[in-house]
Amino acid sequence: MRLLVLLWSLGPLLWQLRTSLLRPEALVAPLLDGNPWTLANYQLVLSGDPPFWRYLANSTLVGLVTTVLTLLLAVPCAYGLHKERGPVRWGVGLALVAAAMFPTVLLFLALLEIARSFGLANNLLSLSLPYTALSLPLAVLLLRAAFADLPPELEDAARLEGLNLGQRLKHVLLPLLGPALASTAILVFLASWNEYAIALTWISRNDLLTLPIAIARIGGGSVFTIPYGAFAAATVLGSLPLLLLVLLAQRSIVSGLTRGAVKG
Amino acid sequence: MNKRGTTLLMLPALLLLAAVFLYPLLRYAWLSLHASSVLTGLVPVPNGGANWGRLLDDARFWTDAVQTLRFALVSVALELVGGLALALLLHRPLRGRGPLRALTLLPWALPTTVMALGWRWILNDPHGPLNAAIRSLGGSSYGFLSTPATTWFFVVLADVWKTMPFVALLLLAGLQTIPLDLEEALRLEGASRLQILRRLTLPLLVPYLSLALLFRLAQALGVFDLIQVLTGGGPAGSTESLALYAYLNAMRFLDFGYASTVMLATFLLLLVLLGGGWLLLRRAGLERTSGRPA
Amino acid sequence: MSPNAGAGLELRQLCRQVGDRRLLDRLDLHVAPGECVALLGPSGCGKSTTLRLVAGLDPASGGQVLLDGEDLSERGPGERQVAMVFQSYALYPHLSVAGNLELGLKVRGMAPRERQRRIDATLELLQLGELRQRRPAQLSGGQRQRVALARALLRDPRIVLLDEPMSNLDAQLREELRPELRRLLCGREQPVIYVTHDQQEAVGMADRIALLEAGRLQQVGSPRELYTNPANRFVASFLGRPAINLLAIEPGRQLGLRPEHLELGDNGAVAARLLRREWWGHQQLLWLDSPWGTLRVLTAPEAPTPPEPRLSWQRQHELWFDPQSGARLAP
Repeated sequence: MRLLVLLWSLGPLLWQLRTSLLRPEALVAPLLDGNPWTLANYQLVLSGDPPFWRYLANSTLVGLVTTVLTLLLAVPCAYGLHKERGPVRWGVGLALVAAAMFPTVLLFLALLEIARSFGLANNLLSLSLPYTALSLPLAVLLLRAAFADLPPELEDAARLEGLNLGQRLKHVLLPLLGPALASTAILVFLASWNEYAIALTWISRNDLLTLPIAIARIGGGSVFTIPYGAFAAATVLGSLPLLLLVLLAQRSIVSGLTRGAVKG
Repeated sequence: MNKRGTTLLMLPALLLLAAVFLYPLLRYAWLSLHASSVLTGLVPVPNGGANWGRLLDDARFWTDAVQTLRFALVSVALELVGGLALALLLHRPLRGRGPLRALTLLPWALPTTVMALGWRWILNDPHGPLNAAIRSLGGSSYGFLSTPATTWFFVVLADVWKTMPFVALLLLAGLQTIPLDLEEALRLEGASRLQILRRLTLPLLVPYLSLALLFRLAQALGVFDLIQVLTGGGPAGSTESLALYAYLNAMRFLDFGYASTVMLATFLLLLVLLGGGWLLLRRAGLERTSGRPA
Repeated sequence: MSPNAGAGLELRQLCRQVGDRRLLDRLDLHVAPGECVALLGPSGCGKSTTLRLVAGLDPASGGQVLLDGEDLSERGPGERQVAMVFQSYALYPHLSVAGNLELGLKVRGMAPRERQRRIDATLELLQLGELRQRRPAQLSGGQRQRVALARALLRDPRIVLLDEPMSNLDAQLREELRPELRRLLCGREQPVIYVTHDQQEAVGMADRIALLEAGRLQQVGSPRELYTNPANRFVASFLGRPAINLLAIEPGRQLGLRPEHLELGDNGAVAARLLRREWWGHQQLLWLDSPWGTLRVLTAPEAPTPPEPRLSWQRQHELWFDPQSGARLAP
């Protein structure tokens, strides 16, 4: 049973890995002579113009900036929402759930217009702005649930000792929110790393592409004109950072999503 | 901290959200009442309701609507069933459960384009591994991605592969909220595992199933990147989704007015479907609570 | 300063309303300097609400909180110099014992040396010196409670509030800690409010008891006043265990008789039948069936029960109530 599940989830990925390590001729027909294995596909991808690691760096930069921005906006918003009562709390909560469910591809045209009129296109940092907005609903919902999980007396005690809101956040609330902040940050980073529609329309300069777009572009050619092994190598390289992230932060991702599901 | 203070704290985030979520919808509503294409030099010119009239007569739009709906319903149904099975498996105390969870989660964490390319190769005709396997069994290669009648199903397959772990994780969260003694009590009364699943687990999982259903339905109705990379909407437009059609209208045909109309129409369709689904779920939930005890 | 301002803490017509729920209804209460008043009542009666209003954690819907004649209503919780011990102790789980004490002093900008001196003195007072580097999770319940107390007393507060500070401790420890808590709290300058739902604790800790129910003050006075001269049926039945017997012996009036005031003998007004005997060592509780219903009678542990017992009591112990309103009636 376990084996079957693993085969289902990992089979396609392992096949990509195998493909990326084969000589192009070996993909199409069994080789009659010689060793079919090669690292040439990786050399090809890494020595491209721009080299592939450039896309990894682009995606990492956007991901990090987005994560920081999202947390900066989401923490106060989640705290405010947690303290809010009555119709505002209800309305904002509902709006956040609706926004979290919204298929974001439907936004790209209006966002593209904004990008053009404010000169935000072809700029990795400005790409973080819509990404932050797209991640905010989930981040706020997760963090609000985390605030609600803290015993309220802790903050009361801090208020009685004269800590203002900033001091309470810094000395009491945020240190206790560590695990929730970490899992939220990872989910935001993943979402930003994987976003497609907006990056596709905002970025056209080849050296500024984020990873999903770069990979889609490489794959855009025909299977016969470009060696498929090179795409496979690109996908493997593009997956590795996420593989590491997921394996390292498995517990935190699961707990983050779990909390979101329970309170959302 | 007073009332106004807490509201102020939310303001920056809410403003950004309004700019990115609310403004586009208003903008589309406005643009959908204008002609804005290469013909007008991309300058919006009011054209009454011409875009909406065109939409009603646009066979491609309605075909895409049906195709999108088919894709969404089938893939979400499979994801729920598969996700439930996976969640039940991962919920049982197994050796190496932690790493197993992480590995099954992997397809969900990878960029859609990465895995779409992977599937394109697996389904390749004739060089993909699937066709190689068919040939070695004595069959002949099948055009998984070039047969208009069946290609949509393989798109569904790729989507299920990617999103099932997410559904499983949500349901796993639900399973963990069910107290163990409830199951033990039922087992003491001699209930079989299937009966426990039907009488106890599923009813208690309803909120999580509903959440997964609504969330995944919304995402699936807006499917875009998977289809764009895997099939480009082909063959013969048989896998084109509404979002892809809207994208093509904007970026290939450069008709912003009509693209806005398609997007807004897609959004409204989604609203109706999700609203209907939500009401249905709520009614089912009410009947459950007012009916006989489980 | 108002002309009739007195020393100590004074609550005037204090109200708290959330939505259409009245949590506290026009409470008037005075706590003298150095006095400990217990707020007693069932859960949801408004005692914790009162504490939070005094501390400034929740806004009052009406009324005033005065300290030494000075109105605190406009001040935030951090500006009232109020110390509070919470039921859960509310120790910061990520900080050590010393860190818990230090945080409040640090944000006030106290110099490190002065902070250290104060912390050392307080830890010594509470015999917590050896635990200073421990985290709250590494402490026992009683130790946590003392750390919470240390944090409260550290800043020389002008008011001390305690919210069920013992309810997370087991019964034996509670009894052991009571004298120590009294030693630390009483004989100081500040007014102390002690919230509890446990009458034994209230009697043990407080100079006076204020009994609340449904947001309203029922009676305030010394334990003896409340017990012997209750203002209404609620006070009479809340205080005293086993509970008072309430008998509908005449139309329009209800008679309350404490179990220790009923006497069993061969002569008496009413015949009764023994149902059950609970032997407590220093006393015994008898359950009796009578024409007025089941009665509780407290007697000496070895007192014999007559074969056909009859019940009697002295007039001076009768407490009469209005059956509808529960108000106390003249005998």
